[in-house]
Amino acid sequence: MGNGMQSTIQGRVFKFGDNVNSDIIIAGRYLIYIEPEELAKHAFEMLGEGFPAKLREYDILVAGRNFGCGSAREQASTAIKGLGIKAVVAASFARTFYRNAINDGLTIVECPEVYAAVKEGDSISIALADGKIAHAGQEYSFPQIPPSVRKILELGGLANYLKANATTTGGA
Amino acid sequence: MNVIEKILASKSGKSEVRPDDVVIAAVDLMVMHDLSANFVMKVFENEMEGAAIANPDKLVFAFDHNFSPATREAAEALAAVRKFAAKHKIRNLFDSGCGSIHHVIMEAGLAAPGMIITGCDSHTPMYGALGAFATGIGNNSMAALGFVHGSGWFKIPETIRIHFHGSMQPGVMARDVSQFMIGRLGEDGAIYKAIEYAGPYIESLSVIDRCLFPLQAIDVGGKCGFINPDEKTAEFVRSLPGAKDFKLFQNDADVRYAEVIDIDVSRIEPQVACPPTVGNVKPIDAAVGTPINVAEAGGSTGGRLSDIRELARHFVNAKVHPGVRLQVVPASRGIYLAALREGLFETLYKAGANIFPASAGSNQAFNMGALAADEVMISTQARNFPGRNGHPKARHFLGSALTVAASAINGKITDPRTLL
Repeated sequence: MGNGMQSTIQGRVFKFGDNVNSDIIIAGRYLIYIEPEELAKHAFEMLGEGFPAKLREYDILVAGRNFGCGSAREQASTAIKGLGIKAVVAASFARTFYRNAINDGLTIVECPEVYAAVKEGDSISIALADGKIAHAGQEYSFPQIPPSVRKILELGGLANYLKANATTTGGA
Repeated sequence: MNVIEKILASKSGKSEVRPDDVVIAAVDLMVMHDLSANFVMKVFENEMEGAAIANPDKLVFAFDHNFSPATREAAEALAAVRKFAAKHKIRNLFDSGCGSIHHVIMEAGLAAPGMIITGCDSHTPMYGALGAFATGIGNNSMAALGFVHGSGWFKIPETIRIHFHGSMQPGVMARDVSQFMIGRLGEDGAIYKAIEYAGPYIESLSVIDRCLFPLQAIDVGGKCGFINPDEKTAEFVRSLPGAKDFKLFQNDADVRYAEVIDIDVSRIEPQVACPPTVGNVKPIDAAVGTPINVAEAGGSTGGRLSDIRELARHFVNAKVHPGVRLQVVPASRGIYLAALREGLFETLYKAGANIFPASAGSNQAFNMGALAADEVMISTQARNFPGRNGHPKARHFLGSALTVAASAINGKITDPRTLL
């Protein structure tokens, strides 16, 4: 599903707070869709006028603690991909969102320091293989994504990964 | 090792596992509701071209959001899932009107202690009350690993133990205790961790009341929740149809915890989760007096027979307040039938309530439960996020069946202890 992970991701940041739940990301009534483009039309519309169009002007979402909590709906990560967002950096993630994002090929990075440092509209650069994020002349580290998980992201998600590794029972 | 570590080790062919190990384990049961069945099916068909389903008997579809589709799109989605199930010989399809997914599956005797159960639904951890390892996963995991290989990848979580002791005050229900626990831990209090619910209070509860605790593990960020199975668990499972051989895994004496939390139940008052989130839990005083338009006993956390009994008891000599619509939604057909036989529905209906088909009720407002901007609902449902029930400005409070009863009688949020 979708485009594979790039080794360096850079762009402008849109910033959220703590506990952004999956109902805010994509409301339950749109769960009849799985297509990124269709879901993206309704992503974050709960936030009011201007959403989701506004988010298309940004490249990276930065959030506080427990991003993606609530329902296990994988459409949350799919909708974010559909908006053209390349990565989500958060102080922490809800585990279902974390897992779904990997399986869906959406790059996610846990880094509380970046959340504390950035403002909306700032530019950051994420070097995935090095585990570093550059922002305003500062460099922040994040735990390296395990190679097996990076492989899933590079191939654009779990389904592609398993197809490429059809002889094993796969997984990471 | 604890219960879930033993289950994950045994199902992945290992003698021992530790937190942070990653295992590929055989999954015993994979469950989806009408919404998730539809999208997992699409992923399977679009992405896994030509693949076969490893074991269709391990899959269960339970249509709980649509008790009767209200739109053409929903009707098409349900029809597509039925067709998919027929094509792939998936026998366990519970159609619209069956109830709330995990109650339906438990009542049918498909879940058992010692199993690994994955579900495309965040409240899947409920089966942990039986001493199973159960967790919510997404479409890709289910379609690519579950459907095709009958397996899943799991990182062994660290475990938090919550020790509950003391007896509930009059007017307090297990729902108040589980809700208090969410407020106490916070919505991210257990991210990626397993939660063990233990202590004399948990042991004293019926298996159905125990279910409330692991069911809400996700609402504190947990991967799963579990309770060490005991004789009560075994007896409960044996009472279900299709009772089979099952194994009661127990904690070893020397298990280690990431954290141990002590909760004295006797100090807990009735609790409400106030808008806008499940974690915004407060003692009932904080909400008392708020006028309501809709009251509902239903959903995975409140459409149980014990909830409907509790509700009906208070309407023998009382009526639903004229400004309130009271909705009663049984969580399974078995519960519906039992409530019918006990005369509970007659009592509630005469008092002014409406009885709805067994389903997830107002959860996400598929067939029911949408609110106008200035409306307020109090329910036993599991979630109250803005926009989940109609207008994003509508307010939704969560409480026990007893709190719902007291509030429906008075037309405003009411301390259930006033009914005593």
